[in-house]
Amino acid sequence: MFSTLSNIRIAGLAVSTGSVTRDFIADGLALGLARAQLERISQTIGLKERKVAAAGITALDLCEDAARRLLDEMGIDASAIDAVIFVTQTPDHSQPNNSSLLHGRLGLSKSTTAFDLAMGCSGWVYGLQQAALLCAHGGAARVLLCAGDTLSRLTNPLDRATDPLFGDAGSATLIEKTGHAPAMHFNLEADGSGAKSICVPAGGARLPATPLTKQEIKDAEGNIHHAENLHINGSDVFNFTLREVPGSVASVLKMAGWAPAQADALILHQANRFMVSTIGKKCGFAPEKTPMDSVETFGNQSSASIPCTLIHALGVPLQEKTLKVVASGYGVGLSWGSVALELGPLVIAPLQSFPKL
Amino acid sequence: MAKSEAELWSALQADVDGLTGPGITPETRLETLPQWDSLAILLVITHFEQVHGIVLSGSQIRACKTGREILQLIPR
Repeated sequence: MFSTLSNIRIAGLAVSTGSVTRDFIADGLALGLARAQLERISQTIGLKERKVAAAGITALDLCEDAARRLLDEMGIDASAIDAVIFVTQTPDHSQPNNSSLLHGRLGLSKSTTAFDLAMGCSGWVYGLQQAALLCAHGGAARVLLCAGDTLSRLTNPLDRATDPLFGDAGSATLIEKTGHAPAMHFNLEADGSGAKSICVPAGGARLPATPLTKQEIKDAEGNIHHAENLHINGSDVFNFTLREVPGSVASVLKMAGWAPAQADALILHQANRFMVSTIGKKCGFAPEKTPMDSVETFGNQSSASIPCTLIHALGVPLQEKTLKVVASGYGVGLSWGSVALELGPLVIAPLQSFPKL
Repeated sequence: MAKSEAELWSALQADVDGLTGPGITPETRLETLPQWDSLAILLVITHFEQVHGIVLSGSQIRACKTGREILQLIPR
């Protein structure tokens, strides 16, 4: 679905990461895996470090910290927010939703609407489009978009194909209606036929959690997991991103009237360095315009990875000037979304962990 | 001019570390290779996309029993 929304801008960004550093090689050695194989994977895929949430910290906590720091940095009172959108697949509860809990924690007005989007790695782009829609046509002047997950809680430590990928983070993005901002161009797409490629089979209404769903099994490659763990068919997901993401990026470039060389940056969801590098190349972007360092520091942060990469790679210039940016998220659903926008100057709160170390 | 099987195999080996090593040929059974794993399958997908312009699925590659069967997935 294509949409172009005008006179809306991103006014500020903040990301709070998990506070516990995990090292791919050290973790693998502790499980008895061979150093040579770990180094092969580390060098090829780009798995080094990641930041996971400390015990008891949830995506809600991470996003609340990011939101408070952003509002403080911008000098905006919470009463000025008209809507809160919370993008997550790891909410505190099945009911109530995280946006309502955040609404209460921030002490927002009763006239502030709040709702969740159950999206993963494509979720920041989906949430941005919803926020822009609320500003363009929904009567909102300011929308707080919070996007984050603690996917490290869903993986099995003995599943070496999935567990080492994920870091935890929460982001806050403030979207404002304004009289003079250039258009944002979106393309949001989905393919539910691939839904099982990224899936937590048990723990929901279809297959409630029981002792049986916690029984671990070993797969053909020796990875151990159970039905309440996150399962990812890596080759299917890679295949899907190669098939769909370059076309999605090309479509928003066309809507914006830009060639890849005219854009300042392509911010891809940071699944892993290998995937970002391969897709960036296929999209026609030079490697220096496709940041891919944040994934080696923070891990795959689900819906928080695009805002984290914006801050990590472009935080300084974005506070000073306007950049032509294309962002694309892709993952669970399967779903993918791209946006082309002119971004900055904007307020950026420093990237930091929660709790702060 | 169409490339020979040896040329195609050599190009595939250059991109997929799991298919390299002493005595590994297109006839070698993939299941006997210690590094024939999910990472190697990602590298095969990438090789086919970048060199041959087609996107293979993981199941297409997993169904192959030898390197020769992988090479047979190249469009003629």
